[in-house]
Amino acid sequence: MQALLRTFWFAVFTLSEYLRSGRIVIELAATAAAYYLFFRRWTLPMTPDYFFSTVGLFTLGLTVYTGSTILALGDRPQGYVTLARRLGRGPYLIGLYVSVLVVSWGVYGIICSLVALTNPVSGLDIAGWMLGTLPLLLNLAMLAALLTLLTPIVLPAPWRLAVLALVALAFSGNLIGGSTMSSLPEPVALALEVLRTVLSTPLLPAFTGFAISVSRDYSGASAVVPVAQLFLVIGLLSLAVYSFARRELLFSA
Amino acid sequence: MDVITLEDVHKSYDGIPVLRGVSLHVPRGIVYGVLGPNGAGKTTLIHLLAGFLRPDRGIVRVFGDENLQQVDGRVGYVPERLRYHTHYTVREYLFYLGRFSGLAGAALRRRVGEEIEACGLTSVVNRKMSALARGMVQRVGFAQALLSQPELLLIDEPTSGLDSEGQRDIIDLIDTVRQRRCTIMVATHFLDEVDFLCDRFGILHGGRIIAEAETRALRQSSRSVVITVADLPSSTAVALSALSTAVCCNQREIILTPNTPELQAQVLRLLLDHGVSIISLAPQFHPIEEFYRSAVRGEAGRHGESDASPPPPGPSGTGDTLLRELLRREDQRTQERQTDEP
Repeated sequence: MQALLRTFWFAVFTLSEYLRSGRIVIELAATAAAYYLFFRRWTLPMTPDYFFSTVGLFTLGLTVYTGSTILALGDRPQGYVTLARRLGRGPYLIGLYVSVLVVSWGVYGIICSLVALTNPVSGLDIAGWMLGTLPLLLNLAMLAALLTLLTPIVLPAPWRLAVLALVALAFSGNLIGGSTMSSLPEPVALALEVLRTVLSTPLLPAFTGFAISVSRDYSGASAVVPVAQLFLVIGLLSLAVYSFARRELLFSA
Repeated sequence: MDVITLEDVHKSYDGIPVLRGVSLHVPRGIVYGVLGPNGAGKTTLIHLLAGFLRPDRGIVRVFGDENLQQVDGRVGYVPERLRYHTHYTVREYLFYLGRFSGLAGAALRRRVGEEIEACGLTSVVNRKMSALARGMVQRVGFAQALLSQPELLLIDEPTSGLDSEGQRDIIDLIDTVRQRRCTIMVATHFLDEVDFLCDRFGILHGGRIIAEAETRALRQSSRSVVITVADLPSSTAVALSALSTAVCCNQREIILTPNTPELQAQVLRLLLDHGVSIISLAPQFHPIEEFYRSAVRGEAGRHGESDASPPPPGPSGTGDTLLRELLRREDQRTQERQTDEP
């Protein structure tokens, strides 16, 4: 309970600093621009598919920025003063993570409110909105957890590169298509295919989460996707906390 | 039981050794100084004790515990550089840091209020951290470290970058803190800080503690002191000579041979009472500086290095403010001795 309370206060502290430093202006400007470009009233009414796919991609992109900025706040010598008390490393990292989530979920909330007020999505009721929102928010949580894991205070540079390489390999299906694969020697193509399948398995919840958010179709095995997303979030965060607790603290100057 | 125990501690960064077998023991209730030039590894040593770093080899124990996470809250830390979160007012900042220390409600309010007063922050409590002078920021550093009433306070270069007045203020502040019966470790490159503050100190050189000494014992080993004044009136000279046969004076200098802390205090008080302008007070040799030089020279000799004596790590101060400080301290010590006596 005490640890939860300290995590809460550290998240409030970080968010407060983020707001006071004026860094939040970037998110607000980007949100306003996105609203103006994609979500304001045009001649045709907005469909749920369009809304969820566009807002899903926009918030993912913005989470990368927000995540990098807020997590960088945790990698400064000021952190020594914060960590030289009972706060603990786990609550410190989770506090930073929660701050990223609050901002990126907040941006999503702002866009939804603006759309609901000025340009309601046709054929989308509250239930449909909630069904589309759940996997979308979990995807943002997953991305924020991955960014937390890839922070310099959590993983050393070689490990970060390795994780990024694995993620790139998992995504390589979009870049190395059938014609390229067929031009490769058979053993290489086979090995690449196996690697890609193995590595992309943990990313399945992210891909399918995005698809469910757009379709809002939870029939069959899709119903377990949010659960899988949640497990992936917990897994990534646990790994980050485990690694951070064992690392030496050498904050960036 | 020792509050701090280091046994053969080694630490390197990217293969470059910084600490090469540091061993030391700090008993409860004393002020221990780690004296060494910049880059000697003082901050590394403090960070090992705060649990930010782990030794490559050797044992680091705080309160007898090797798991330093277990002693969180019993250790306060004042960092070297004045790097704090600048977007908060002093009060807000201390409230947040208090909450991170597990304080809440009335206890939090009480502790923040106490430390604001104890550290002399009352006048700036609603000012933003970014608007504070360096000396005030350092005071906030002490206030935050003391919030959880630590039993051990780790202080890294407390007066670095401060002007002489700021340095004196911080030294006074640390002197107040020591009265809380808290064990203090100060890492510094200023000889004066060691002289004024520390009961015991170790010289960190070449990644090892090459020598340790009790400051009081060293201070007492200084047999003669020369006090230089602007102009000594003859009436004051007569009064001084009447104090002791150990006092010898002319128009510009007063020499105390042999010197004792009590005699020195009497002479200084008399000079101040007579309004004599004091220019400097210099021991015939500066005991800590001499000790430092001989320790480093001996170490260099053992390693076959040049015999040239290195400069001491930092300046030793003189002047009127210093003298007043010495006088005040001597009064305090005398008072303490009187209190201790049945």
